[in-house]
Amino acid sequence: MTGGLVLILALLAIVVAPWVAPTYYLLLMLPFMAYAVVLLGLNLLFGYTGLVSFGHALFIGIGAYTGAFLAAHLTVRSMEVFLVAAAIAGALVAAPVAALCVRYVKIYFGMLTLAFGMVFYTFVLKFYRLTGGDEGLPFPRPALLGFPLDAMPKTDYLVGPYYYYSLAVLAVATLGMWRVVRSPFGLCLKTIRDNPAKAETLGIGVTRYRWYAFMISAVYASVGGALLGPPTGNVDPTLAYWTHSGNLVFMTLLGGFSSFFGPVLGAFVFIYLQNWVMSVVPYWRLIFGAILAVIVIFAPGGLMGLFARARPAEVARG
Amino acid sequence: MILKAEGLRKLYGGFCALDGVSLAVGAGEFVSIIGPNGAGKSTLINILTGVTPPSAGTVRFKDRDVSGIGPVRLARLGMARSFQLVQIFPDLSVLETLQAAVVARLGRGTRLFASLSGDREVQEGALEVAELFGLGEKRHVPARQLPQGDKKLLDVASAFALRPEIILLDEPTSGVSTADKTAIMEIMVAAAKRIGIQAIIQVEHDMDIVFGYSDRIVALHQGRILADATPAEIRADQRVVDTVIGRRARVR
Amino acid sequence: MTQHVVNVLLSGIFHASILFLVAAGLQVVFGVQKIFNLACGSFYALGAYVGVSAVGWYTGAGGPAALFVLPLALAGLAVGAVGVVVERGLLRFVYDRDETFQLLLTFAVVLMMEDAIRMTWGTSPRSTAGLYLTYGQVPILGAAVPVYNLIVIGASLAIALLIGWLLTRTAFGRIIRASADNREMAEALGVDMRRVYATVFTLGTALGTLGGALVIPATAAMSEMGIELIVEAFAVVVIGGLGSMRGAFVGALIVGVLRSIAISVYPELEMLLIYLIVIAVLVLRPRGLFGGAAA
Repeated sequence: MTGGLVLILALLAIVVAPWVAPTYYLLLMLPFMAYAVVLLGLNLLFGYTGLVSFGHALFIGIGAYTGAFLAAHLTVRSMEVFLVAAAIAGALVAAPVAALCVRYVKIYFGMLTLAFGMVFYTFVLKFYRLTGGDEGLPFPRPALLGFPLDAMPKTDYLVGPYYYYSLAVLAVATLGMWRVVRSPFGLCLKTIRDNPAKAETLGIGVTRYRWYAFMISAVYASVGGALLGPPTGNVDPTLAYWTHSGNLVFMTLLGGFSSFFGPVLGAFVFIYLQNWVMSVVPYWRLIFGAILAVIVIFAPGGLMGLFARARPAEVARG
Repeated sequence: MILKAEGLRKLYGGFCALDGVSLAVGAGEFVSIIGPNGAGKSTLINILTGVTPPSAGTVRFKDRDVSGIGPVRLARLGMARSFQLVQIFPDLSVLETLQAAVVARLGRGTRLFASLSGDREVQEGALEVAELFGLGEKRHVPARQLPQGDKKLLDVASAFALRPEIILLDEPTSGVSTADKTAIMEIMVAAAKRIGIQAIIQVEHDMDIVFGYSDRIVALHQGRILADATPAEIRADQRVVDTVIGRRARVR
Repeated sequence: MTQHVVNVLLSGIFHASILFLVAAGLQVVFGVQKIFNLACGSFYALGAYVGVSAVGWYTGAGGPAALFVLPLALAGLAVGAVGVVVERGLLRFVYDRDETFQLLLTFAVVLMMEDAIRMTWGTSPRSTAGLYLTYGQVPILGAAVPVYNLIVIGASLAIALLIGWLLTRTAFGRIIRASADNREMAEALGVDMRRVYATVFTLGTALGTLGGALVIPATAAMSEMGIELIVEAFAVVVIGGLGSMRGAFVGALIVGVLRSIAISVYPELEMLLIYLIVIAVLVLRPRGLFGGAAA
């Protein structure tokens, strides 16, 4: 089981990294872990149910703004409260949005999700008093598990307690999703992805299952959005902009949407590569656009697909 | 009677695809529907399986009106079907396909965090059907890599895995070589007995298959029932032989 | 009061004229190639920057200010040639793929174009200083309306009619419509789909770049203008119906004018109103107002 070995080594590296890796690279781990949570959710829709959302940044926005809003208007400072509230807010928004969106597939599904994402974007942009408009809202440093860590220098807080906190959230999210895709429910989603008409004749209610998948994926994205708050320290409307949603799909494709860990790998590579490219030239979009084009044309299975091709004995599909 | 259709009519615009078709199928029956292209066979199957609502008439399944209730609810009530054009889940293995059917039958699809591999009832139920259909050896092969005949078998097998009371097969042997046709039919009939399926309705063009396996034959022509009788009676009915079976076809 | 109404309506119609050009480009590509081209906003931005440069050279070379519209429009049309590059260089590889991949490939073009524009023209906004009012203003019901706006509205109408004529009255139009309805059939009849796709995509691109060029006397060119406009063009085609030219026309008018009204009445509403209409249309009438059955 080389796959399992790689996973254990990766986990080990993430755990010991704060002692050995430079702070700069550690700080990048925080958005990586937040995006990894988001993408685990997004891929339940994309890779397992066959629906490509072009508006999932909406839920990142919901999650991040929920935390910032609670801090600004209700002076809450607890990360646990932020995460739970983000999940609830994400679910509340997603319930009607999903009910409308899952009636459509393919390009119409993508367009409808994009439109909902832009509704939220324009809303937070225009209603300054609640949302701070284009300036956004500050996301103050939350207490973790009830410990107020305000005395710590900011960087120490982020690469210390918050790093492990994020890792714990990611680990729980990964285990949860691992169970979901290996459950009877996960199997039903795959039948819908492959052939919805056939799934119906087996008695699988396609629309209902798509709704469930959308809900789970929205909650994941909201939690990931809240997790993104402390490292950035500020939330602004661009979190919900459609190009951000596009980048989420990009990351998923980069890693490989037909593999469980593909999106996680995609988030990792995207974030570190983006930072490296930006340190060399300011034009990361030009290079990333070219990378995306190459992946779409030559390697639609993403990085995981390339690994699987190099090692045909291992079937990456989960 | 398990399935009873009365006075079915279906209009598409001005075109009358079905005109007053009545049909009853009881336990233990194997019924074949035959007819030339455009006779209304597919329309009839689609109405019987709740996909298309009839313009007039009713379909009763186990004394319950099921016209137009849709495939999902019908599957749960105990009626399964397969399609003329083979329908598979390309990326799922043989076993996964059958497991999905068993999961749906047991109503366990909403178990979000349960382990599929740890669900013995699902695992064994799927494996049993795979063996019945001779797909046990290929149980880990993705459906899209199966040869055409096995795809067809898998399609039918997944309908059987629902353990329905009645099953409707739309040309179960179409696109399959003549040599394989009989093999598929033998497997199906044996599997139906083992699983306890009470009735089979099939649409079929191959007259050897039709006359070899049916208890009753329903001949459709231009949206109406031309004859509804035993194979022996049908063979003797010159009208049916002329219009539906055709002189070219070899009738044993 | 009437003066205010005229101002709001005409600025809405001006915006609608530009939107129509970009949306028409989106529609013709979707209609024939079944690709939803996210990059059409980027082509619009490209057209705007090229327009600024072209007018800059033109005035620098001493060309009469009164004719600046000619180099502007010509440059806008000419840079549409980039469409051939994108179609032959990228899109043709994914015609038989799932539409998700086609969509993502146009997203890749969006990313690349945004930085290509930044590399070429820098990050600060660029504008054609002072040419907007070259043709003066005319009073309409008490409102002073820039003549340039009327020229653009007229040009857009003329293009709409031209496209209509092209699609319904010419051999080229018949080929396009046949290819849109049934690709296999068109191929069997001897239509060279490679040429049709290259031509259609270039036409779609040129409509976008022309729209971008025509807008810049009125507003400055900015690198984000493409990704902002695409969501408006997207709203237009959803409201009008994907693939329909009449839909693009009516949709552009609805979006352009409503947005203009919203800004003047309750600015917070601006695009929010448009998106809510988009959602309503998608939910109630997913094919849009003029969408065909097989969209």
